[in-house]
Parts: sequence; structure tokens; C-alpha cells
Amino acid sequence: MATKPFTRPVENSVAKVNDEVAVGEDLEFQRKWWRFENAAWIAFTLIIVLDLSGLFGRGPLAKAQRHAADGTMDVKYERIERTASPSIMTIQFGPSAIKDGKVQLYIGNSLIKLLGTQRVIPAPQETVVGEGGLTYSFPASKPPASVDLALQPLGPGIFDFTIGVVGAQRVHAKVVVVP
Amino acid sequence: MAAVLRAFFGYLFLVMIVRIVGRRPGKQMTPFEFVLIFFIGGLALTAIVGDEVSFTNALCQIITMGLAHYGIAWARSKSQRFGRLVDGTPLILLENQEWRANTLQHMRIQDDDVIASARESGIKALEGIDRAVLERNGEISTSPRQSGS
Repeated sequence: MATKPFTRPVENSVAKVNDEVAVGEDLEFQRKWWRFENAAWIAFTLIIVLDLSGLFGRGPLAKAQRHAADGTMDVKYERIERTASPSIMTIQFGPSAIKDGKVQLYIGNSLIKLLGTQRVIPAPQETVVGEGGLTYSFPASKPPASVDLALQPLGPGIFDFTIGVVGAQRVHAKVVVVP
Repeated sequence: MAAVLRAFFGYLFLVMIVRIVGRRPGKQMTPFEFVLIFFIGGLALTAIVGDEVSFTNALCQIITMGLAHYGIAWARSKSQRFGRLVDGTPLILLENQEWRANTLQHMRIQDDDVIASARESGIKALEGIDRAVLERNGEISTSPRQSGS
């Protein structure tokens, strides 16, 4: 014997128009939805304007610069980074940073691990591990002289980093990495 | 973990965007809307998959999307309110030979979209339409005017 299907009676659950055609229109709800849609479009426009300005990285607001108080270095970096997106941090050395034909640059571990330093340009002559970071040595003549760090943050968060010429004042700063 | 969350939030975000952008898929879709749908899909794919191209990742993300879709379909069947939020309600575009101007404007629909649907029902001119309704799936359904009405 065939199994009996489960059934329930048909009810007039769909609103009718002029008592004829079941349409189910709900203009009151729709008007509220249109108001929500208008607010959403404004929010979308705002998000794009903020993005173009660099609030989510990659724009004028994201660019930052720090100087060591003793004039040994300037650091140009992005204070707002994006996860897994490459960026360049440029370190410009002052005349007092160059000693005995070389520059020694200390980089804290957070810059290497959390902010994902991928490459150092130019390649350092020597790398020393210690003091919670790495110290690179570069042969140098006269300023202007600069080193670039290619960064690619691993994940979102707010990270402090420390960088400085050995024996000089260090620069501390924060970077916000958005998802 | 992160990949599953990316897939889940990516799915919800796409549902919301497609709902807000407009209800004109299916038969009413023009080439210009095809571009929108494929481009959104392609852009979302980059962020959702990221550099995790393993089979395991694909499997988990597809299952996540399946579960999210099931969850929305289940909630829609349980709550009429939620159903209206996700799908909207049908909207009358033309009735008694009068356009619902506000609805047409908000839904970004023009009279030639309506007559295109009417032609499929064998109606030759706008005067021959008794009622045109924008359905939840984006199609426009038309009913012909009875002679003498």
C-alpha cells in the first residue's frame, strides 16, 4: 500500500488586489525597504569616499612619515595597511647615520614577523640577530641614502614597530592592518 | 577557520548587495546586468579564496555557502518577515491603465521593460495590459485586459 502524503488545507495567505488576483504586495514594507536602500546607497558612497581618501589603506590618509629626533633617519610608511597586500617602507638616512662607510639599521621583530618584511632593498651586506630583532649592515657613502623594506602583513590587527640606526634614537610607530 | 568565515560573510554580503542593487535577474536581465553579476562574483572570489587554493579549502568553503544558503532558506520558510527582507514582495507596476510611478522609479524599471514582458504573453500594446506585477524573482508578469473593461 502506498504511503499517504502529508497534506494541509490551502489558506488565503497571499494578499489580493481588488479582491481578484492574489499578488501579495506590501507597499508599507516596501516603502520602509526603499528608505533602507537609500541609507545603504549613502553608506556605500561614504565607504568609497573613505577608501579613496585612504582610511582603509592605499591613499593619502594612509601615508605617514616619522623622523628620528637626532636626524639620523626618516621613515616613510603606511599607517594603514591591508592584509596580504604589498607595500614599501622607505628609510632615508641622514649624514650622521653613516659611520665608517656603512649604515647599521636595527629592525624590531614585529616589523619582520607581523608586518611581514619580505625583502630588504638593497640586500644587506651582513645580518646580525639579537635584541628582539635584526640588525642589517649596508655599505654607504654620502647622503641621500635610503633602504626600502617590502612589507606584506600576514593578518589584521594593530602593530607597533621599532626601527633605528644602531647607537642612535629609534623610531616607534603603530600600523593598523585592515582585513 | 578564517577561510570558512570569509566564505560565510562573503555569502551574506553578496546576498545583501544583490538585494540592494536591484531585482532584475532572470528573464529581465540585460547584458549590462550580466556584467554586474559576473564582475561581483569574480571580485568576491579573489577575497574569499585568497591564496588558499587547496581542495580542502574549496570543499569547506562550498559546504559553508551551502549551509548559509540552507539557513537563509529555512529562516525564510519559518518567518514571513525574514522572507520579505530577503526576497521583497511582489510589486504592482501598472494597474487600471495607470503606472505606479513611485514603484517604477525606485525599482529602476521602464515602460519598455513592461511591454517586453507583455509581448511574451501575446499582448501587443500597453493599452492591452490589465495589470503588470514585478515578481519576487525579478520577472514582470502581465495579465491582459478583458474586452469591454
